[in-house]
Amino acid sequence: MSPKKEVLLKIRNLKIQGYSDETWVDIIKGVDLTLHRGEVMGLIGESGAGKSTIGAAAMGYARDGTRITEDSSIEFDGIELTTSTESERRALRGSRIAYVAQSAAASFNPAHKIIDQHTEAPLHYRLRKRTEAQEDAMDLYERLRLPNPHEIGFRYPHQVSGGQLQRAMTAMAMSCRPDLIIFDEPTTALDVTTQIEVLAAIRDIVDQFNTAALYITHDLAVVAQMADTIKVLLKGNEVEEAPTEEMLSNPKEDYTKSLWAVRSFESPQRTREGRECLISVKNVDAAYASGPKILDDVSFDIYEGMTVAVVGESGSGKSTTARVITGLLPPQKGEVLFKGEPFPPDYRNRNKEQLRQCQMIYQMADTALNPKVRISEIIGRPAQFYSGLKGTALKARVDELLDLIELEPSKYYNRFPPELSGGQKQRIGIARALAAEPSFIVCDEVTSALDQLVAEGILRLLDRLQNELNLAYMFITHDLATVRSIADEVIVMQHGKVVEQGPKDQMFKPPHHPYTDLLLSSVPEMDPNWLTTLLEERGVDNIGDAAAANIDPDDAKIAP
Amino acid sequence: MGDILGLVAKRLGLGLVILFIISIIIFFMVELLPGDIAEAVLGQGATEENLKALREQMGLNDPAIIRYLGWLKGAVVFDFGRSIVTQEPVISVIGERFVNTLFLATYAAVIAVPIAITLGVIVALLRNTIFDRVVNVLTLTSISSPEFFLGYILILYFSVKWSMFPAIASLSDGMSFWELLERTFLPALTLVLVVVAHMMRMTRAAIINLLASPYIEMARLKGTPPWKVIVKHALPNAWAPIINVVALNLAYLITGVVLVEVVFVYPGIGQALVDAVSKRDFPVVQACCLIFAATFILLNLAADVGAILTNPRLRHPK
Amino acid sequence: MTIFVIGYYALLLAASCAAAYFNKRAAFMLLFSLTLVSFVVGIIGGAGALYAIAVAAGILAMMAMVSYAFREFLILLAGKETAKELRTAPLTAAFGMFIIFTYVIAGIFAPWIAPHGEAEVISSAFAPADANMLLGADQLGRDMFSRLVYGTRNSVGLSLTATIGAFVLGAGAGLLAATKGGWFDQLMGRLADVIMSIPSLIFALLMLSIFGPSMPVIIVAVAIIYAPRVFRLTRAVAGNVVVMDYIEAAKLRGEGTGYLIRREILPNSTAPLIAEFGLEFCFVFLLVAGLSFLGLGIQPPTADWGSMVRENATLISFGEITPLIPAAAIALLTVAVNFVVDWMLHRSSGLKE
Repeated sequence: MSPKKEVLLKIRNLKIQGYSDETWVDIIKGVDLTLHRGEVMGLIGESGAGKSTIGAAAMGYARDGTRITEDSSIEFDGIELTTSTESERRALRGSRIAYVAQSAAASFNPAHKIIDQHTEAPLHYRLRKRTEAQEDAMDLYERLRLPNPHEIGFRYPHQVSGGQLQRAMTAMAMSCRPDLIIFDEPTTALDVTTQIEVLAAIRDIVDQFNTAALYITHDLAVVAQMADTIKVLLKGNEVEEAPTEEMLSNPKEDYTKSLWAVRSFESPQRTREGRECLISVKNVDAAYASGPKILDDVSFDIYEGMTVAVVGESGSGKSTTARVITGLLPPQKGEVLFKGEPFPPDYRNRNKEQLRQCQMIYQMADTALNPKVRISEIIGRPAQFYSGLKGTALKARVDELLDLIELEPSKYYNRFPPELSGGQKQRIGIARALAAEPSFIVCDEVTSALDQLVAEGILRLLDRLQNELNLAYMFITHDLATVRSIADEVIVMQHGKVVEQGPKDQMFKPPHHPYTDLLLSSVPEMDPNWLTTLLEERGVDNIGDAAAANIDPDDAKIAP
Repeated sequence: MGDILGLVAKRLGLGLVILFIISIIIFFMVELLPGDIAEAVLGQGATEENLKALREQMGLNDPAIIRYLGWLKGAVVFDFGRSIVTQEPVISVIGERFVNTLFLATYAAVIAVPIAITLGVIVALLRNTIFDRVVNVLTLTSISSPEFFLGYILILYFSVKWSMFPAIASLSDGMSFWELLERTFLPALTLVLVVVAHMMRMTRAAIINLLASPYIEMARLKGTPPWKVIVKHALPNAWAPIINVVALNLAYLITGVVLVEVVFVYPGIGQALVDAVSKRDFPVVQACCLIFAATFILLNLAADVGAILTNPRLRHPK
Repeated sequence: MTIFVIGYYALLLAASCAAAYFNKRAAFMLLFSLTLVSFVVGIIGGAGALYAIAVAAGILAMMAMVSYAFREFLILLAGKETAKELRTAPLTAAFGMFIIFTYVIAGIFAPWIAPHGEAEVISSAFAPADANMLLGADQLGRDMFSRLVYGTRNSVGLSLTATIGAFVLGAGAGLLAATKGGWFDQLMGRLADVIMSIPSLIFALLMLSIFGPSMPVIIVAVAIIYAPRVFRLTRAVAGNVVVMDYIEAAKLRGEGTGYLIRREILPNSTAPLIAEFGLEFCFVFLLVAGLSFLGLGIQPPTADWGSMVRENATLISFGEITPLIPAAAIALLTVAVNFVVDWMLHRSSGLKE
């Protein structure tokens, strides 16, 4: 961390171009970067900032369809990568610079055992004999706290879980004891509880071998745990760079400040008092075709004008619950009541009035809007379909809806979804739901595909609309920060069961159900010492999948 | 391994069922004839007595189901009844010809498969270069040309103008193997030209598809040399698509062989089929169709089984 | 060494050097490898072979120029959006469009273009070409050129009708199967499996042997044979669209199958379906040509390219290329359609990345 340390990687004026629409376009527009031995630098930025491209460039590697311009300079330990030959560059990869990819499941070759892929580089560079390399692999697996370190390597990648594969890939990157490892969003695809054990393992191993690292991510809280210095990128340009503590406490640039500030929004909590019960889910069991049970005796109520957040990790059954309510998946047992009246289980048996009441907003605005249909028709169709509006009345209604979602009607009326940004598309999705004049909207991870600033705008919009139109939301999410800002009530799900439910203020206070406790404690916080403190409190073996496996949904609540 | 055997068994069973359904289609389509076979054979001038005699002789008075079962029972042991035209047993008409056709198809396959796969891999490695583009245009042209066009061009140059190979691929007893290869060279070459183009394009597409996988990038970023990336990381995963490509093209050979046999007057089953169709010799037509369909199904079956057996995810279940 | 040979090599070498000097790598590789090949060919085949290469190169250059000019012509005629698309077309695709355009003209205006009637006997059998008959006469003394022009109408028209038939059947079933799912989807899928496990030419021969070779039978038979292929593709394309959230949204709104297919699925499937139409047309066209060549297609005296090859095949043994002309006409159209389809597929796959 001290400036006296030897410089390992020095990038000057890095420009990378991508080929699109028959021309070369700048993706990275002149970035400088200096990394010392043993130092971990976090590269953060939103999608399209070019973080991952810089990571590959640090290995002298340009992906297909991109090129590094000739006036760039990438110097690794005194070797200029832009002018060296391909074989010189290749000799560095795997041995002195290693790479950990985002999706471990896709990045391991399905045809070979994990350990054979691990030992490929050491054998290729003749650093070790096969048995030595295998023993070293097992040693690394043990250091990374993989279960059965002596046996796990002899499995094929598809026989191992995602979190374990990600650690196995980190071990593989370590196989030649490189000077530098590029971590390219290594935990983005993982659940929060799994993420934490991978983070802990990565941090340990990098410390133990004093390896320098470039840690690429879009998650501020994650990078705060991992990095010594942080560099913020925006659209291929550097915004600022500073040591982690300083960056967190005292960001200089407006853009950085706005990133730090996004988690500030919090809607005042509403209570059930004086409200009518809108949706009742009663003892629902559900499964797909003849598969295993996905939902097991799920019951909860949603009151009008209130937001109920459903929290859980992938596979917990939160999306399936939404499908049961909307009628896409009729339950095997139990029923859904709307204002006390039973809702037909299959949406095909519901009448227009029933269908109108319950609308959906989707996670991926790209797949939620038909790219070949004009905005006017996307929003206008529900109004036409349910209310029979035509001609000028319809046009007036579409304009009104566009106004409601804060988009200029005349500008957007005739456009197609691909011409809009992610946030604008999500707003159109909201307008389509509103066009039906519903009383209840299912919001399925509506902000998780968006950059943080945009996501905040959407949350504020949803909150405003709720107050104006007295809407009830069922808010499906895995992000507890979102829950904090918008929910009135919270439901926690695990393995298809509701483990805990109640008003938000109670849910964030102990006593918790052990699973809620694990979930809450696994969400990274901005504090750079958060991970260290947590590991001290809980112990390295009481986090992640290992801890989750010991929890039964029926366990009693615990106080800390 | 239990899983994989189950899958293979299931696939084999499905193949049998499809073959059975096809035998039904082939048999009962002939029943759709306006009138019946006897009328079709004897034509307009047939007297009632002649028709009656023929119906008796062919057993047409039995219900269709009985006749179908009888036909199917025979077909299992390659007894397809007698030809209407020559009165010979069908199997003696087409048996030897089927062997000839298989010889021609094998001849073409033995040349085409190694060339096509090697070239396909090379073109995949040289993708987006000028070489790739030229090859793309050439293979497209070859695919687009009817077999008889290629066949006649080869005849025009290799046999008429340069007198290198015979234009007519007649076979006679007592030919040496080399003589046989020489006589059938032009028909085999015609098939090779078409099939190589198809196979190359498909191999290229399969390999390029594979090279876009994250694990290939990972291998590159581990410093693995390009040849090793291909041999160690791409090839083990490429078997399924390549086996598929080969089987599909062998199946294609089966169809292509009919036209080529006619162009080169080669005594194969394809020619027999075309003759039988124009003479409306239904037992022969049915037998040929069943044999072609069975071969076709067998090849597709082999491809699927190959794909199952080489899939690492299936070979090493959780 | 003749002047021609010296000039030939000098020109190639000069062009190679110029390409190398101006750093045009692709052009240099092409020219120089042609030079090297020419050395070998020149030694083996002599000046004649070199002459053939020069002629071939000249023809290629002519075709390239025609394609280039035709593309510019289309860009000028087309609207703004289409013009932008057209600019990305490689010369091969432009060449394909030019050929298709020519065939369409020839097919529509056949009676005005052809100097003689379709079945008009005007000279002796196999009469050589003269001022009256551009390509000579066929086995009955009819004008080859006129029959070729009329053949465009018959061969292409028949294949086009059959392809449209296959498309209506296959795409209709595919869209319905994707939208409805369930047993209908399963049933259609199995049916397609069964039909596709009979080789197409064999199936066509079987049907023709039973119902006799006439135009309607050919069209129906070919439509049935190729419908499963269209079905599979449409099912796959529409299957990718059906899983989209906007379809779920429309279903939850209570929209009927008709609206789903018309407004939501079809607009997102047109590009691959058009490309598939081109591909299927090629298959159908080759199959129909094959049938005619076997004497089981369009029956005489109607002019048809496949049967023209067959009728004049004997001329091959005299070194005449006459039978190759209708065959080349078949190949040329198929190549042209394939070139255009290749470009369209490349475009649609490129957009995905």
